[in-house]
Amino acid sequence: MAEVEINAVSKAFGKTQALSDLSLTVGDGEFVALLGPTGAGKTTALRLIAGLEQPDCGSIRIDGRSVTGDAPADRDVAFVFQQYSLYPHLTVFENMAFALRAPTRRVPEADIHAKVQEVARLLHIETKLDNKATQLSGGQMQRVAIGRALVRSPSIYLMDEPLSSLDAKLRGELRLELKRIQVDLGATILYVTHDQTEAMTMASRIGVIEGGRLMQIGTPREIYENPINAHVAARLGQPTINLLPAALFAGAPVGVETIGARTEHLTIARGGGDISATVKRVEHLGDQSHLHLDLAGRPVVTLADPEAGFGAGDVVSLRLNEPLFFDAKGWRVAA
Amino acid sequence: MNELSASSRITYRAVMVRPGVARRIRGLSDRTLAWLFITPTIVLLLAINIFPLLWTIYLSFTNYRANRANVPTIWLGADWYQSILTDPDIWAAMQVTAHFVIWTVVIETVLGFGLAYLIDKKFRGHGMWTTIILLPMMLSPAVVGNFWTFLYQPQIGLFNYVVAFFTGRAASSFQMLGDVTLSPWAIVIVDTWMWTPYVMLICLAGLRSIPDYIYEAAEVDRASKWRQFWSITLPMALPFIMLAVLFRGIENFKMFDMVNLLTGGGPGSTTEVASITLKRAAFESWRTGYSSAFAIILFVTVFGLANIYVKALNKVKSR
Repeated sequence: MAEVEINAVSKAFGKTQALSDLSLTVGDGEFVALLGPTGAGKTTALRLIAGLEQPDCGSIRIDGRSVTGDAPADRDVAFVFQQYSLYPHLTVFENMAFALRAPTRRVPEADIHAKVQEVARLLHIETKLDNKATQLSGGQMQRVAIGRALVRSPSIYLMDEPLSSLDAKLRGELRLELKRIQVDLGATILYVTHDQTEAMTMASRIGVIEGGRLMQIGTPREIYENPINAHVAARLGQPTINLLPAALFAGAPVGVETIGARTEHLTIARGGGDISATVKRVEHLGDQSHLHLDLAGRPVVTLADPEAGFGAGDVVSLRLNEPLFFDAKGWRVAA
Repeated sequence: MNELSASSRITYRAVMVRPGVARRIRGLSDRTLAWLFITPTIVLLLAINIFPLLWTIYLSFTNYRANRANVPTIWLGADWYQSILTDPDIWAAMQVTAHFVIWTVVIETVLGFGLAYLIDKKFRGHGMWTTIILLPMMLSPAVVGNFWTFLYQPQIGLFNYVVAFFTGRAASSFQMLGDVTLSPWAIVIVDTWMWTPYVMLICLAGLRSIPDYIYEAAEVDRASKWRQFWSITLPMALPFIMLAVLFRGIENFKMFDMVNLLTGGGPGSTTEVASITLKRAAFESWRTGYSSAFAIILFVTVFGLANIYVKALNKVKSR
């Protein structure tokens, strides 16, 4: 494992600027998640580090060594692709052993067997080793894809939305497993996702990326509690932060255009008050309810205790506790 | 307004007459309708495919001659089969056929796959090159046979001059079509020229079916280009290559037109492939029963070999 340093890297495909001036350091043994919507440049960042694309400018260093112009084979990285990328004509074992069998590695066959068996046990696919890669379910294929990376001990594991094509239950399970494995191995991982839950639960640091730019990087808590702009604020939190015009509320600081209110920033009480809203719809999720409110024609979504017994048509009053303030351009304004 | 409603009423009545027929058709079950649609095709198939096949099988057991239809037909049993299978001339023709099939298929597959591999690299102008390479395949075998006869002309043929240019031998010192050792290769060259593009096309489809991300994964896995070729490209394109081999094998086993135009089986019988022997027996010697038996033997051979091959192909595909 090693430190990976990306310095002012940019990449354009034709007229599309996929990545602008990305600088990022992934520390040894660290799990960094890049979070952003589709087309934000997350995958491009991974492919640049892997050497599958060449940057237009900037440099990439792995373990202190510049690898900017190197071929993928010379970079000592492992890549888990979004679409599995298994070799369809090979068995699970052969897929996992493929990288180890590279002549340049000179790994003895007995060691390969031992390593593959060990990783297969870790991922609970030890009974599938003789199966064809294409005879597996989606979840198993993704385990094999992860296993193919894990059999090696590269400087960094690059994972491109590895869990996105799995169903919710399996995603939850593998998320836990992946985190456990990362901690056990002390692996350095750069993980790309558009799923905030994955980023929040697994990463030691999250980088929020949007339109090819890294907006903010920090611990999940920092990003959640202290977003630098409205974009970052909207990336994290379930339900999504409510961005409301400051004019609706009295007492906002000077220069504030938008007020960002998450569930914890809103206190709801039955009956009208200074700021009244109407309940439009209630979504029961079991332990919690999503409350869809109408505040002077603006939708507001917040969580409520199901015991509170709100129903459509109820009038409630809202009170803000230390919400987030943003200026006209969406940048954060101190309270 | 009145006129309009009157005309629409007429249309309405006209439509009313039709549903009688429609209802009768509607009364038919899906199954009956299906049969109604496919019966003409089945009848046609029976008349021009199945009946001649059965008739040929019957004739192969008789002394029937198409040029003496009035002579009473005698049942001979398996006599023709026995005499054909023990006839050294027939075995010679089979050897010529095997030489032709094996060499054309091997050379066309190697060249076709090689060309497909190059074209797949998507260099500048690869589209134009694909079209140019595909041209020979689009020509009629009759045209190809005729102009290669000219190309092979020892005095004026371009082929001899090209060989002369590269080897230094005199252009008129050899005859591709008149020489006992060269003529089997002359027909292999023409078939290769004409059908390599076809093999290339099928191989290209195979190569294009391998997604880029597999190669990217291999690259990250430190597989050299050489290893990528042997452990990814070739195994994944293999079903396509095998399909091309099957098509070319069957096609060349029954090769007739091009060889007939180029050499007519000569010199001697050095290029007499099975179908030429068959044509001679059937339409020059008019030994209809005998040639029917030979045709059945050829059919069974091709059918048997193709079946074994398809089984192997399916095995590769399910790997």
